[in-house]
Amino acid sequence: MNKQRWIDYALQEGFEDFEIYQSLSGEKTVTWFDGQMDTFVTSRVLGTALRGTYLGKMVNLATEDTSDEQIEVLVSQMKEQAKTIQAEETAVISAPAECEEVQSQKHWVEPDNVLIQKTLKAVEEKIMAADERIIQASHLQWVEETGSREIVNSKGLHIHDESRVQAIVAGAAAASGEEVKNSFGIEVVENLEDFDLDAFVKKTTDEALNKLDSVQLTSGTYPVIFEKGAMTSLFSALTGLYSGDLIGKGISPLRDKLNTKIFSDLITVVDDPRNTDAVSLANYDDEGTPTKRKVLVDHGVFTTILHNTRSAARMNAETSGNGFRSSYTSPIGVSPFNCYIEPGEKSLDELCADMKDGFVITDLAGLHAGIDFVTTNFSLQCSGYWVKDGKRDHSVSLVTVAANFLEMMSNVTAVGSDLEWKQHSVVTPSIAFKGCAISGK
Amino acid sequence: MLEKKQLEKYLSACMRSEADFAEIFEQSEKDETISMLNGKVEDVNRITISGIGIRLYKGVQSVYAYGNETDEESVMKLIDDLRTALGAKEEGPEVSLQRVEYENRHPVKIDFEQASLEEKADLLKRANDAAFAADERIVKVTGSLLNVRQLVQISNSEGRLISDTRVRTRLMVEALAQEGDNVQSGSDRPGAGMGLEFYEQRKPEDSGREAAREALVNLSARDCPSGQMPVVIDNAFGGVIFHEACGHSLEATSVAKNMSVFCGKLGQQIANPCVSAVDDGTIPNAWGSENIDDEGNFQKRRVLIKDGILTSYMIDRLNARRMNMEGTNSSRRQSYQYEPTSRMTNTFILEGNSTFDELFEGIEKGLYAKKMGGGSVNPQTGEFNFAVNEGYMIENGKITYPVRGASLIGNGRDILMNIDRICDNLTTGQGNCGSLSGSIPTDVGQPSLRVTSITVGGTANE
Repeated sequence: MNKQRWIDYALQEGFEDFEIYQSLSGEKTVTWFDGQMDTFVTSRVLGTALRGTYLGKMVNLATEDTSDEQIEVLVSQMKEQAKTIQAEETAVISAPAECEEVQSQKHWVEPDNVLIQKTLKAVEEKIMAADERIIQASHLQWVEETGSREIVNSKGLHIHDESRVQAIVAGAAAASGEEVKNSFGIEVVENLEDFDLDAFVKKTTDEALNKLDSVQLTSGTYPVIFEKGAMTSLFSALTGLYSGDLIGKGISPLRDKLNTKIFSDLITVVDDPRNTDAVSLANYDDEGTPTKRKVLVDHGVFTTILHNTRSAARMNAETSGNGFRSSYTSPIGVSPFNCYIEPGEKSLDELCADMKDGFVITDLAGLHAGIDFVTTNFSLQCSGYWVKDGKRDHSVSLVTVAANFLEMMSNVTAVGSDLEWKQHSVVTPSIAFKGCAISGK
Repeated sequence: MLEKKQLEKYLSACMRSEADFAEIFEQSEKDETISMLNGKVEDVNRITISGIGIRLYKGVQSVYAYGNETDEESVMKLIDDLRTALGAKEEGPEVSLQRVEYENRHPVKIDFEQASLEEKADLLKRANDAAFAADERIVKVTGSLLNVRQLVQISNSEGRLISDTRVRTRLMVEALAQEGDNVQSGSDRPGAGMGLEFYEQRKPEDSGREAAREALVNLSARDCPSGQMPVVIDNAFGGVIFHEACGHSLEATSVAKNMSVFCGKLGQQIANPCVSAVDDGTIPNAWGSENIDDEGNFQKRRVLIKDGILTSYMIDRLNARRMNMEGTNSSRRQSYQYEPTSRMTNTFILEGNSTFDELFEGIEKGLYAKKMGGGSVNPQTGEFNFAVNEGYMIENGKITYPVRGASLIGNGRDILMNIDRICDNLTTGQGNCGSLSGSIPTDVGQPSLRVTSITVGGTANE
């Protein structure tokens, strides 16, 4: 693809500005089952997204066919799209901006296939040997994902960067009589040679074993701690609350809450795409805007709305550098990048000791359906364990937790110290709450 | 799409390895989404997808490569990676392909690419206007219209060469109703394996009104009580209960690796004798239908449960090997970027002989789940959950007041045994199902039915 030729042609056809976004992604996955390699997957996908302003409207189009003879057809289609769009606010094609780039602190070492298979075999054997109640090692997998991104536009912007992540995955199933429980572990691994397999296996098997012999709680309202994994899932599912796109459209319940108290004093939320503790970082968003650290919620007060150029135009604000695509086929949306709740002082054990009697939720299910974004009411299947006199007592499963997220975040009793950057770009520590409605027996 | 000769060359190259089977999946797809906010077109997005996925088997091992550069050098590079992974050989059988022709079961009358963007935007406008006209408390309406044309060509080392064109359309409308600080939402999302003629039978105005109706009901809803109680689940998207509680656990993806509560249960009673259920990928122009599955085999109707007895799993080619059973042509995938596996198509519980009113008889206190949201399942433990978007309390056999914020949870092993009455009003609803091989269109469905006891998760404790 001769990018300059495409840009020149679009401008000649009347586009005011034009931009080409290209991503090249590769995947290598090896899975293992029952003593042998199960599947091997490799790929190379080049994706291209075009966008441009025509008659003052921004138009998007994505294609995997970028042969130069496509120029005329695609540009003509984009003009037709622009004529149909009626919304007044539009995104802006960015000029290059000064930006001090931070570098990733990750040192990825690509393992060879022999080491990958040897490791997966060892993980399987260790899981099976961990306890006689373990009935299966599942989801054994090594994954490598590489990506590069290039953004070129008619204002002279030219960005090129690369990313990589690699991880090991394993699950364990444990049985006690008719009851089967399972776990799923994922660990980002910079160098497989140095990876502590035993710790990973122990964590994965303990998680499955600890879930056995579970009981349903009697329905009622109990003090609750959302352990960091469960809290991360819930918090991630609701990051749209801070999105300028959804606030500007009047859909987010925080639409008129800027500079007001929305959460407990104990909660501070930060979004920092340049955080080098996280697995990935972004010096620029997908519109080419330099990214920056922002405090979204400061001791409970909603202080910053996330924006891309379009949502900023709608709300008469500046972009916050949060214009990201979920893939080259998606238009630029508004998303957090390396967003977290600031950790507190106490460990999870100390939170449990302070709670005395209550429920620790370790897993949530059905997040895609069980949350009503407009009200932030949720009712979700969950499991975890009961804490008695400050100590872990018995495991709990097949219950639901229901609450209103905004109300719940105003009733925080403590924030844990256990923030951990893993594969996610949104993370939280464990958080203790006064009470949530639990449904069970 | 690649020429027959070129495919034969590639497949023959694939077989110069330890592989005993090779398959090439080609996809060329155009997607168009028009979105609207409060009657104004916000965006028009078009996507062209064009790629190839190559898979080799050696026994129950599979290797898969995909990409979207289809020049010979790029494709041969993918093939060489696979041969190396499985073990390359100098010699192998030459593959000769025979094209399979058939009659298209899912003809399209109005091609979305022939219609203007204005005509399509007008469908959204009609839904929008009907929603706003429903009640002055409707304050916001969003909508999107998705149109897809997916062309696939599948060839394999057994000599099969076959193509399919899947055309789909879906209108998604969401309405927000407001009364003071109370804001509630409602939605309607009909779709079909059709062109724009779908909207002649399923009027956009009906979708707008339905979204508004649900939002308005939820304005007056009270918090849902918690605990175990009988539940009447309505027809159409209510079928998500079977999809989650049972369907996923009958997919070979889980069964073949002994990761399902229904492993080894063929021929055994897993449901109340009043329950029969099928997965049918052949229904003309249904949302989850297609002529062939993504391994090039003809779609069919599979009876999964007959009178409570488990009669079939849903099995793809690779898992058929692992299970030592016949495949059921159940292989599907979102795109060439996913290796295919066993998936559902249009899955539903068959009609029973209770009347709607009989479902409520004898219920002192229970829940009527009129409209379901999505859900999920852990096939290994059998635990499932799903959300109730519109619900009502049942008191002394009568529907009394609307409730909101409910979810239903349970274990697939128990729930099917606890269905005790099934009505005679089967309809289906459209969804997108996510699993190992990506997000695919599926219909769920059932007649209205009653579950004698299920855990209801709500916020009101009584």
